[in-house]
Amino acid sequence: MFNKRGQIRIIEAFLAIAVIFSSLIFTTVTFPSSPNLAKQKSLSSFGMQALIELDVNGTLGKLIEQRNWTAIKQSLDISLPIGVSFNLTIYDENFSPINSQVIQNTNLLGRETVSVQYIGASQSQNIQLFILRLQLAWTR
Amino acid sequence: MDTVIEMRERKNSGQLLLIAALIMAFLLLSAELYIIEVGKIIGEVESNSMNDFVLAVELGSRHVIVGSLANVSNGGSNSVLEWNIQNWSSFIDKQYQFGKSILDYTLEETTPYSSGIWIDWGTDGIGVSSAYANFTYKLLGREGNLNQSYFINITHTLFVESTYQVGVGDEKQVNVTINLLNEGKPALAKQITIYYKDQLNNWLIPDETNNYTISDYGNGTYLASFVVSIPSPNVEVSAHVFDQREIYVQANATSIQI
Repeated sequence: MFNKRGQIRIIEAFLAIAVIFSSLIFTTVTFPSSPNLAKQKSLSSFGMQALIELDVNGTLGKLIEQRNWTAIKQSLDISLPIGVSFNLTIYDENFSPINSQVIQNTNLLGRETVSVQYIGASQSQNIQLFILRLQLAWTR
Repeated sequence: MDTVIEMRERKNSGQLLLIAALIMAFLLLSAELYIIEVGKIIGEVESNSMNDFVLAVELGSRHVIVGSLANVSNGGSNSVLEWNIQNWSSFIDKQYQFGKSILDYTLEETTPYSSGIWIDWGTDGIGVSSAYANFTYKLLGREGNLNQSYFINITHTLFVESTYQVGVGDEKQVNVTINLLNEGKPALAKQITIYYKDQLNNWLIPDETNNYTISDYGNGTYLASFVVSIPSPNVEVSAHVFDQREIYVQANATSIQI
């Protein structure tokens, strides 16, 4: 009777270990270092870099003053990596949108997006301040 | 017999409870680890956004100074610089999403600057249009505080040198060499206009009747040549230049006979 009890306890202990290890495997498989946030991080970094690159010599402000939305879209198309979808909205200093046409390469509807906010000023004699909101998503 | 069965059931349920407790503990631990990891990544994202925001503020400050200098050098009031920086500063203070943002500034007052502006369009062949401001930017965010000082000095400098050769009668072949610098580095012009002073002290622009030509060396150096008919041995020339940023500068020089 004593021997049987001991064997059952050993089996139970093994079972407990098996359960713990299986849950360990389960958690490793289910949460592999939060890939969505890592992707979002790289997306926002790409977006910010693209805007800074465009603004560094005053081109961004000039294009906004000229209301040349097509050129802004083309510049972002070139600067952002392939596989990134974007939608850009430009606001004046009173936060009213000023782009009369949509600046985007593909529709972001239903996608997990990251939003990047950029502030800037034009270099012209009558300085114009602006806020850009760039939404980015990976193309599926 | 009944008593024995009861005892067995009790022992089993105790072990199951222990196992269940272990599983729950493990799940809690793994959930905690996950939360820590997510927190780390969010921290990195915020830190990056902080640095990018500072870079955007510096870039914007630079554009504001350039635009203000373009305005002042084209006849605007010196106070335009302060007004624009003030406007930019209050705009910045409202924009940072993850904390508080404060942009302070002082305009350079050390000679030759006054209210951050230095305009010197000389008759010695050198012309300067410059704006200078110091900034202190404080960012109080969730990921830490940042205090950054920087200055922005935008200087458009023009050097004019001129020589002439005497031709037939009062005719003189005049060469004007123009050198442009932006912040001490060679820069290209958007527009250059050359003038010369005639015998009635009027400033005139040489044209095709003067065989006017201008060569662009592509490195901020330009050579203008033209023929004038002036009896006086003193030939005064003037260059009026807009750089690519629309900052205006001019300088006068006396042509030297060679």
